Amino acid sequence: MATTACFIIVSRNDIPIYEAEVGSAAKREDAAQLHQFILHAALDIVQDIAWTTSAMFLKAIDRFNDLVVSVYVTAVFCRYISYNLIFSLTTSLHTRLMLLHDSRNDDGIKSFFQEVHELYIKVLLNPLYLPGSRIASSHFDTKVRALARKYL
Amino acid sequence: MEPDVSIETSSVIRIAVLPIGTVPPGLLREYQMMLLRQQTIPQSAISSFYTEHQKSPFAHQPWDTGSLRFKFILGGAPPSPWEDFQSNRKILAVIGICHCPSSPDLDSVIDQFNSACKSYASALVHRCFAFCPGDSQLEDGSKKGGNLKLFPPADTQTQEMHLQTMMQDIAASLLMEFEKWVLKAESAGTILKTPLDSQASLNSEEVLKAKKRRLARSQKTIGDYCLLAGSPVDASAHYSTSQELARLTGDYFWYAGALEGGVCALLLDRMGQKDPAMEEEVRYRYNSVIVHYRKSFIQDNAQRVSPLSFELEATLKLARFLCRRELAKEVVELLTSAADGAKSLIDASDRLILFVEIARLYGTIGYQRKAAFFSRQIAQLYLQQENRLAAISAMQVLAMTTKAYRVQSRTSTSEHSLPNKQIGSSHVDGGKMHHHSVVSLFESQWSTLQMVVLREILLSAVRAGDPLAAWSAAARLLRSYYPLITPAGQNGLASALSNSADRLPSGTRCADPALPFIRLYSFPLHPSQMDIVKRNPEREDWWAGSAPSGPFIYTPFSKGESNDSSKQDLIWVVGEPIQVLVELANPCGFDLRVDSIYLSVHSGNFDAFPVSVNLPTNSSKVITLSGIPTSVGPVTIPGCMVHCFGVVTEHLFKDVDNLLLGATQGLVLSDPFRCCGSAKLRNVSFPNISVVPPLPLLVPHVGGGDGAIILYEGEIRGLWINLANAGTVPVEQVHISLSGKNQDCVISVAYETLKAALPLKPGSEVKIPVTLKAWQLGLLDPDPAAGKSAFGSMMRHFKDGSSPTVVIHYAGSLSSSGDPSTVGSSVPPGRRLVVPLQICVLQGLSFVKARLLSMEIPAHVGENLPKPVHVDSQSTERTIGSESKLDRLVKIDPFRGSWGLRFLELELSNPTDVVFDISVSVQLENPSNADNDSADQDAVEYGYPKTRIDRDCSARVLIPLEHFKLPILDGSFFMKDIQADGPTGSRNSSFSEKNAKAELNASIKNLISRIKVRWQSGRNSSGELNIKDAIQAALQASVMDVLLPDPLTFGFRLVRNGLEPAKLESPNELNSSVQSSASKGPVLAHDMTPMEVLVRNNTKDLIKMSLSITCRDVAGENCVEGAKATVLWAGILSGITIEIPPLQEIKHSFSLYFLVPGEYTLVAAALIDDANDILRARARTHSPDEPIFCCGPPYNVRVIGTA
Repeated sequence: MATTACFIIVSRNDIPIYEAEVGSAAKREDAAQLHQFILHAALDIVQDIAWTTSAMFLKAIDRFNDLVVSVYVTAVFCRYISYNLIFSLTTSLHTRLMLLHDSRNDDGIKSFFQEVHELYIKVLLNPLYLPGSRIASSHFDTKVRALARKYL
Repeated sequence: MEPDVSIETSSVIRIAVLPIGTVPPGLLREYQMMLLRQQTIPQSAISSFYTEHQKSPFAHQPWDTGSLRFKFILGGAPPSPWEDFQSNRKILAVIGICHCPSSPDLDSVIDQFNSACKSYASALVHRCFAFCPGDSQLEDGSKKGGNLKLFPPADTQTQEMHLQTMMQDIAASLLMEFEKWVLKAESAGTILKTPLDSQASLNSEEVLKAKKRRLARSQKTIGDYCLLAGSPVDASAHYSTSQELARLTGDYFWYAGALEGGVCALLLDRMGQKDPAMEEEVRYRYNSVIVHYRKSFIQDNAQRVSPLSFELEATLKLARFLCRRELAKEVVELLTSAADGAKSLIDASDRLILFVEIARLYGTIGYQRKAAFFSRQIAQLYLQQENRLAAISAMQVLAMTTKAYRVQSRTSTSEHSLPNKQIGSSHVDGGKMHHHSVVSLFESQWSTLQMVVLREILLSAVRAGDPLAAWSAAARLLRSYYPLITPAGQNGLASALSNSADRLPSGTRCADPALPFIRLYSFPLHPSQMDIVKRNPEREDWWAGSAPSGPFIYTPFSKGESNDSSKQDLIWVVGEPIQVLVELANPCGFDLRVDSIYLSVHSGNFDAFPVSVNLPTNSSKVITLSGIPTSVGPVTIPGCMVHCFGVVTEHLFKDVDNLLLGATQGLVLSDPFRCCGSAKLRNVSFPNISVVPPLPLLVPHVGGGDGAIILYEGEIRGLWINLANAGTVPVEQVHISLSGKNQDCVISVAYETLKAALPLKPGSEVKIPVTLKAWQLGLLDPDPAAGKSAFGSMMRHFKDGSSPTVVIHYAGSLSSSGDPSTVGSSVPPGRRLVVPLQICVLQGLSFVKARLLSMEIPAHVGENLPKPVHVDSQSTERTIGSESKLDRLVKIDPFRGSWGLRFLELELSNPTDVVFDISVSVQLENPSNADNDSADQDAVEYGYPKTRIDRDCSARVLIPLEHFKLPILDGSFFMKDIQADGPTGSRNSSFSEKNAKAELNASIKNLISRIKVRWQSGRNSSGELNIKDAIQAALQASVMDVLLPDPLTFGFRLVRNGLEPAKLESPNELNSSVQSSASKGPVLAHDMTPMEVLVRNNTKDLIKMSLSITCRDVAGENCVEGAKATVLWAGILSGITIEIPPLQEIKHSFSLYFLVPGEYTLVAAALIDDANDILRARARTHSPDEPIFCCGPPYNVRVIGTA
């Protein structure tokens, strides 16, 4: 398991809708803040890269010091399911699953992203969930943390 | 490291600009700006100052196109240890700036300048510019010559020309100095060292190596000077030589430097033309520069000095060169690797510069978030230096990041926040917001980051001693993120706010609101007393159509209209205070004191009144804010001005609306109102508010107290309504109407009084009398407690709204009062004043039942005839006139009896707790106006003494109905029967039947209306019982008997010894004769008693009849006839056939001889022959053949024995 791992889901409006510190390192508040700052800054890069590649998993697109940012960009169909067709076609941004990590376990990270993506789709399918709002489900949180233990 | 480096930096000459003596900062800046415009001096311009002393080493000087470039360093800079390596780091010239008026002594200026120059050993040219010299100084200065250059006062353009010339001179001097330097270097060679070289004493091998290297280094330096002199071709040549030599000697550091210089020379040579091929060339060469700088890293002195900064600088230079949107990816890679280098940098200020450059470059390619990230890193580095200047820098840098983190202060956003505003307002207007746009309002809510940034701003501002910035940051932090802050933290922020405010002058304004949250609660409409109605000048009833009519609050017909104008219009009047309700919320864990809060109105025609509020922890409060409109025009209220935590801020309603909207969508952390326990509120729409010129204002005061008027059922009371004009305009039109329930209880309103008082000037008042009569409490609201608890029932009645209201429409003058702004608009509106008459009707006397009683007391047979009833009336009048109480009693004449006298008995109960006095009065129509001494009155009242009913008692009131008998049995009552029998047939019968019935009813009504039952309770409440219906019901059955006389009246009297009977016509004598007859003693037994029977015809027709007289004893046995007759008689007693002319009477005499003393009863009866219809109707016969039998009242005779 990675010592540092900060996982965030960013909605297409650039709002973080889920955040979790999933690393094994002792939690420090300023470190957690720095992680979020790094991930926030990495959005600029994701924004550009997402349109240059067809891959969903963008490995190590940014780094600061020895922390690496990997991103999993969801495809448009997420919103096709969750929202109506018109909006999915007119909105140009994707939901992004972002992970800040210090390990180089790319396969694990990729698997982690894929599984979390599935969980996220399940959340979207919930008719009571308003797309773009915070994911408050404790079930989702538990699952994500379990996945983090498994893969990272 | 140096800030702001680019590839071209190598070709820029550094000049230190030093203020000499005291130069006011503003002027210094001005002079510096003038200098900055001379940054580039074309070589073509300096040729006139240039003299070639010896052959120039710059063989390929581009005199036509080239130029010298300067960088002015205000205040100078300490010499860099890397000066030898990069010559552009040297300060090559010093310019002193002197402001003559503040330093009059030019000699001392020169001394100061010279001493200042001493610290710049590398400077080749020194000049001191003295601005604005006085005349004496001009004279003096021109003698001094040397480096002092005087700039005589002139206009800006001339001065700039002068300065330009001076700069060209400096450029030329520098060029010549460079030539000198290069020539010297070429010939002699200098020792060039960098801190990278070993400082230890060199061993022989190394000395040899250093000697080899020296040539390469000097070639590189010459190249540098060529670049500075603006000759890239020469530089290129020297650089390539240097590269060759450096590579051979393995001097990678200098090799990289030469390479770098080569790239700069290449760029300078191809000035302005950027083709991809060249870009590729630059990229390739710079990558090798970076690689070679990295190679030059020497492990043994890595602790002390490192070429890393040059590597990073080179990286940044390349990044800046490539810095375009299309190459973002490449730039990001370069910058990421540069950022990685930051860890290895030894000097903290180097790291700072690196981050500054990285942030700038990210900003240039449009990566705002990246730029913000590095800006924050810079701020953290600044904050690590514990001093005020660093804190100021940190604060400024953080302020730049606020846009990316979306925590901007409103001051910075105010200019371009307009589109946002429009979005917000349009959505609020629409009522239903589109989800997508709602989300966009709350874009990028990275609350963790935002809080950190705000906290750092707060920290830096506190350290920097900027209380306003600190206040603003704390306010933003507290307002936006209170749910994420612990109560202790909230308290800390609150104290930070107050601490900052302590350092601010009072009344400081800040664009960022802190607490409390304020939302619009409601715009209270005008109270009903100040209602404004539109005036329609074309109509007489100008108020019509302006107010909702009808009893319904909601009418389906008006729905369509109201839908269009969902924004209702509100009219305010100049000079009249208005109120707006707002709700405040303090969701934080400390008590909030709002020193003052008032409506913020930008239109300038409104005076708002401040109030102060205390909001306890986690509470919300609805408060009323008031103000006075001062001039005509529209008013908009965007929010409130709040003076809280020592600073004045404007709180916009719209912001809170958006916040609440976000809260409902789950996009914002928390709804501050809901967490304070306030109920959810619908969106309050902003009405269009317009202010109209002053209107009159009537203030009502209902006489008898403003409270409720408590009346018993049926009570009549006079009130007055006092209307005062509290406005500033006279009332010119007025109209009074009634509305609401029980309108008919207002008997009269003195409308004329009000009319007469017009125009009602401001300040004047008018009193309008109003008469009320309390209505009957309905049977539907039986209120057992009504009498007991007056208060409770009073409350109930208010709620019922059963009281009527007086509605007064009034208006000022029709033409507007000369105010030009209102001429275009329509006439000023009028007003409606609603004066509710708060009447509380208590249950008073209650009527239990009414019934008709008949009282039959037989009359005594006296010497006089009993007077017919109708004759009595005159004497009755007298008795009333005498006002004697006794006289008013119903007197029963014993000789007359009271046969057929009927009483109306009213049973009344008094459930209240007061005492009622009942007085019954009967109005009589005056039968003869002519001979009446009270001839002027049409009707006289016949009163009876009062009856008192105690509380919780019931009593019966008797009303004698003896005065209603008509004198003549007329046919008019029985028209129906006559008509029915008549030959006219049945065609008209139904009509006439109705007619007759109506007439009958009318006469009954007439009868009833003459009976008045008045009551009085206490001193001042009196009224009338409304029991007409009850009386009517009681009388209905026997009304005929009450009203109509019998067709025949019978009377008996004694005839004594042929005495003249008393005249019937003289009532005075009648009374006395009655008494005398009584005194004459009783009838004696065994004595012949002469008697007379009088029969009167009450009809208008001749009546033929057969009269018979009987005498009965107490047992009712006929004692005239039969075997046991105890009375003997003389004369005829039965079957007497008489004809009586109309309205006449006849006498029939007879004598009786009583054998036994005792009580006897004389009864006369008549069988009418040939009875006409009237008689039949009166007798209620069923068949025309039935004989009509008329029986007189019994008369008593008391016979006394002789013994």
